[in-house]
Amino acid sequence: MTGPALYVVLVAFGVVVGVASGLLGVGGGTLIVPFLTLAVGFSQHSAEATSLLVILPTAVAGSLALRRRGVGDLGLALRFGTVGAAGSVLGALLALALPASTLRLVFAVFVGLVGLRLARDGIRAERTDEVRS
Amino acid sequence: MRARLHSLALDPKLLAIGLGGGLLSGLLGVGGGIVMVPLLVLWAAYPQRDAHAISLGAIIPISIAGIATYGVAGEVRYGTAIGLAAGSIVGARIGAGWLARIDERLLKVVFGVFLVGVAVLLGVRG
Repeated sequence: MTGPALYVVLVAFGVVVGVASGLLGVGGGTLIVPFLTLAVGFSQHSAEATSLLVILPTAVAGSLALRRRGVGDLGLALRFGTVGAAGSVLGALLALALPASTLRLVFAVFVGLVGLRLARDGIRAERTDEVRS
Repeated sequence: MRARLHSLALDPKLLAIGLGGGLLSGLLGVGGGIVMVPLLVLWAAYPQRDAHAISLGAIIPISIAGIATYGVAGEVRYGTAIGLAAGSIVGARIGAGWLARIDERLLKVVFGVFLVGVAVLLGVRG
């Protein structure tokens, strides 16, 4: 798949990712990275790097929308994130030092844990509801 | 002035959560909200709504630092990211609009199981 066809698929998959993250609060990098490695054929490192560049504008748009509604403190968030940026540089350097196969395995474990937690949250919420009714 | 200085300082808990979230973000190419939000709520005692907002805002500098680091190494594919981001921003609005109308619990279970499947696939192919 090349050129315009790939682009249509990318935008369409982006919509799916956006809907999932809007609904569940999960689904940015957790979906983008496996999609880019398994379906588009990116290396693990390129997939992760590209995923971060998708997450950035989404976070900017989301933060501006929350600020308009008066939710949270964007100033505090940005200061908090500046500390996080130091961690992020370290994390990225660590990733770049790892072989792609190792990094992919670490990522697979992460996705598996996120999936288990989400499923557990869903089941627990259902039980709470049964108790209430 | 003193109040201002105080407001610039960060709670040690926030410092630790920021560093941890950032590390995960840079290592795995994710936002890091998946660890920051629960820690902000359970450990730093922020209300859920504020924790979400703080985490989302923090992802801005965190992702910029990660992009810069991977960018220097030549790993960022800009055209692909623009296509995905264009769809994602539209999709997030659609998802937020659906939020009040769907059964979130079943969706969580289905999506959770799907992600476990993705993890297995990644492990097998890796």
